[in-house]
Parts: sequence; structure tokens; C-alpha cells
Amino acid sequence: MSGKKEDLLKKLADAVVDMDEKLTVATAHESLAEGLDAYEAIDGGLSRGMERAGQLFEEEEYFIPELLMCSDAMYAGLDVLKPHLKTTGEKKGTVVIGVIEGDTHDIGKNMVRIMLETGGFEVHDLGRDVPPRVFVDKAKEVNATIIGLSTLMTTTMDGMGQVVRLLQEENIRDRHKVMVGGGPISPGFAKKIGADGYAINAAEAVKVARELAGAV
Amino acid sequence: MSSLSPKERLLRVLDKKSVDRPPVICTGGMMNAAIVEVMTSTGNTLPDAHHEGGLMAALSADIHAMTGFENLGIPFCMTVEAELLGSDIDFGTLACEPKIAREIFPSVAQVEQRDIATMLKSGRVVEIIQAGYRISRQHQDSPVIGNLTGPISTAASIVDPVTFLKELRKDPANSHRVLDYVSDLLIAFGREMITNGVTLISIGDPTATGEILGPKVFNEFAVPYLNKVIDGIHAAGAPVIVHICGKIQSVKHSLPHLRANAISTDALVNLRVLKEEFPQLTTMGNVSTFMLELTEAEKVARHTAQLVKDGINIIAPACGLSTATTLTAIRAMTDTVKEQ
Repeated sequence: MSGKKEDLLKKLADAVVDMDEKLTVATAHESLAEGLDAYEAIDGGLSRGMERAGQLFEEEEYFIPELLMCSDAMYAGLDVLKPHLKTTGEKKGTVVIGVIEGDTHDIGKNMVRIMLETGGFEVHDLGRDVPPRVFVDKAKEVNATIIGLSTLMTTTMDGMGQVVRLLQEENIRDRHKVMVGGGPISPGFAKKIGADGYAINAAEAVKVARELAGAV
Repeated sequence: MSSLSPKERLLRVLDKKSVDRPPVICTGGMMNAAIVEVMTSTGNTLPDAHHEGGLMAALSADIHAMTGFENLGIPFCMTVEAELLGSDIDFGTLACEPKIAREIFPSVAQVEQRDIATMLKSGRVVEIIQAGYRISRQHQDSPVIGNLTGPISTAASIVDPVTFLKELRKDPANSHRVLDYVSDLLIAFGREMITNGVTLISIGDPTATGEILGPKVFNEFAVPYLNKVIDGIHAAGAPVIVHICGKIQSVKHSLPHLRANAISTDALVNLRVLKEEFPQLTTMGNVSTFMLELTEAEKVARHTAQLVKDGINIIAPACGLSTATTLTAIRAMTDTVKEQ
């Protein structure tokens, strides 16, 4: 069984990396039929595939279209496996994420969401063009560990600082960690507006989120 | 040669002829200089100027007069083409640029093609064409730039961008069909502006970057349709500038295959090094827009002077200017080039 199991996990991961949605779904069914644990198939198969896709993205072997297709394959596999989960994996934390008001670029944010979800976070996606107030209200509502703010445009960077200021005004700054990212954002800028974390890309965002969640 | 008009100077550079100094321009469109300081001092303001040809012409003339940029450029957004093709637009505010509120088609396979000539006969596009006519007549010594949103960005404004990017790989046949259709529209719109007086066309295609697409998809989908539009504009007798956003490392070998008269790049790109590697390129750029917004005028001037010294052919902002940028910073840039 263990050799067979390894083969199936590898096949799942490869199907995700190869952007092959059909093969991912077929292999997910095959894994269940072979008695593989659904959580193990997600963790050791789909997530591992997505991690490798993330690596290929960092190495500039894969670009956005490839990464989006890998995530489609991963989600298709997830749909098959999820109903068979005995217990959900240990939740790492809750994240409220969105693109700040004034910006409609959400590809980067979507990648971060997917990576956070596969990384074990419960993610509330507010979408794009989100006013600072909405981030704060949602964070309070779901008792978020982390608020994740993304922008691609310099003109909207001010809104990120606004979120931190709103948290301070309501005396709840210590309840939610704030992490920022996106094209024009730098670690220096993150520090300047009083954010807790900065990530340069989606893979890094998961690492940063794990650190921040551990620190809450 | 000191008697060159700004229009002659820019056209000579785009024709690879010698000039006394580089032109200093700001194309309009994605890279426009409709800053708050200009608009509040003249009262010719956005978002109204997105819709009314007279106001658009007046705002472009205000920018030209107050910033020292040697051209005029219209329009002030990247939503004209998407609106023509049916997407919903949020026109923003004085300080916040328009954006796509909702893409009209769910997938490339479902993009319906309509008659292009008919589309160009009504609505905002007519106002833009008229604004081009007006400023070209009033500023005969200055180059007037008509701006187009590039094929990939336009396509990603009529089909949800995440879906569109996946479909470039999943449904290449329909992706090509949509890009071909969009390119035909861009050529027709560009030619209409040229017929009505604009001097040249600038194409900004922020979704068509090496960082987003990677070299393979860039070569298969961005380069051919950019070239199709460029050829269509050249056939109407006008030169073309193409702006490539972001880092270009992964696609720089494709740049010489673009048949544009000049390539403009983001601030991340070292244009001097790019020129050394590809001496045949006419380069444009790339004064950091962060620097323009956030640092003192003296630093902007030093940075600009270095670009001139490096032999960059056309000096321009590296990307879209923040509407909070000051005239002092912009004048530091334009004055520095003119003093050379």
C-alpha cells in the first residue's frame, strides 16, 4: 500500500503542477477508491503540487496563467476530496483579505487567497476595490487573526494606512495583525504605515501569515 | 537644429534621426498627467472631462501648459475601448481614475463580435476623436498623442481577467479570435484619431507584461497583436510608441520584434543597459513616478539629468502618475531636459 500511496500522492501533485484538471479529478477519485485518507491526499498531493507550482512561479518558469490553471486543477481535486475529510485540518487562523479601494487588480490577491487556503487558513475574501472601513468591520465580525491588504497602484496605498488608523481609533489594533503586499508596496512602506507584515509574493504571504498567526 | 519644434523633435526621434536634445513627454491614456493641482487651478476637471470633448481638449491643453510636457495627450483613462465593447465603467472621481466595473463577457468563447465602424460612430469615442481634432488644430507645433489600450489589456477588460489569462492557455483558438477582433477595433479607433489630426499613437498594455504572461504567452499572444495594431497605425502614416509595464527580464528578447517606433518601460528597467544590449531600440522613459510623487524636486532633477546623460531617446514618466504629484516635481523633470 505505501508504495501505491506514494505513487498516488505524486500523481496528484504532478497533475496539479501539469495544470491537468481532468487528471487531478480522476486521480482524486482513484485515491479515494484505493482507500487513501482525504486529508493526506490534499496535504501530500494537491498542496504539495501547488507548492511546487509556487516554486516554479518564483523561479520564473511559471507565470500567472500557469499558476491560475494549477490552482484550478487543485480546486477541482479539492472538490472531490473535501466531502471525504474526516476532520478538517488544524486551522491556522482566520484571514480577511481584499484589494484596497480604488484598485481593481486582483490577480495577486487571488493567488494569496489560494495559497493561504491551501496553507490551512480560513479566508474571507472581500474582493477588489474595498473601502478601508469594510476590512475593519469584517475583521471584527469574523474575529480575524489577520487582515491582508493588497494593491497594485500607488494611488491607493493611502487606504492601507487608513485601515491601520481605523483599528487604532477603535482600540482594537492588538486584536488583528495587518499584512500588506502588491506591486508598489515595499517593506519600508509597510513599516511606515504600521503594518505587522509584508510579503513579496503569494508563497511568502503564507510564511508571513503563519508567523503572524503564531504571534497573536 | 535649435529651431526644431517639439513636434518635429519627437517625430525625428521616432524616425531615428538626430536631434538637439531628447523630447520630454507624457503620453496621456494610462500615463496621463491630469493631476489634482492642475485640475483644481483651472476648473477643467475629471471625471467630466472623460465625457466631453471640449473639456477633454481644455484639460489636455492645461496639462501641456502647466507641466512643461512637450505634447498633448488624450484620453485620460484606459476604459474607452472596453466601454465600446460593452463593459460597464466606473468613471471614478477627480482624483481617482476610471476602472472596469464589470466585464461584459464570461469567457472568450462568448465574446460577440459587432460591427466596428458602427461602434465608432457614437458615444464617448466621438468626443475623444473631436478633442483630438481640436487640440491638433490649436497646437500645430506640438505633438498630439492619441492613446490606445493594448489588445491584451482590452481583452482582459471585456472578459474577467482571471478567466481570460487562463483561457489564453485553455482556449487559445477563441483567445486569438478575441484578440484579433479587439486589434481591429484598436486600429480603426487609432486611424480615426489620426485622420482627425493626432500626430502619433501610444499603446499602453499593462496586462501584457513579462511578469504576468511569461515569455511563451507574451510571444504567442502579446507580440503578434501589438504588431498588428502597430502595422495598422503605420499604414495610416503615424508612428507608434509602446509602453511595457513591470520587469522585462523574461521578455526582453521579444522587444526588438515589436515594430513600434519607441519602447517605453517602467522604472524598474535600466534603460541604459537595455540600450547597450539592443542598440536598435529607441527607448523612452523612465522617471520613477514614486520619485515624482514622494521625493524633493532636486532629486527628480538629478535622476532626469542622468537619463538624458545615459542617452535615453525620449524622457517620460515611467508609469501612470499619481494624481497627488505636484507641479514642482514635474517641472523639475521637464525643465531639466529642456536645459540640456
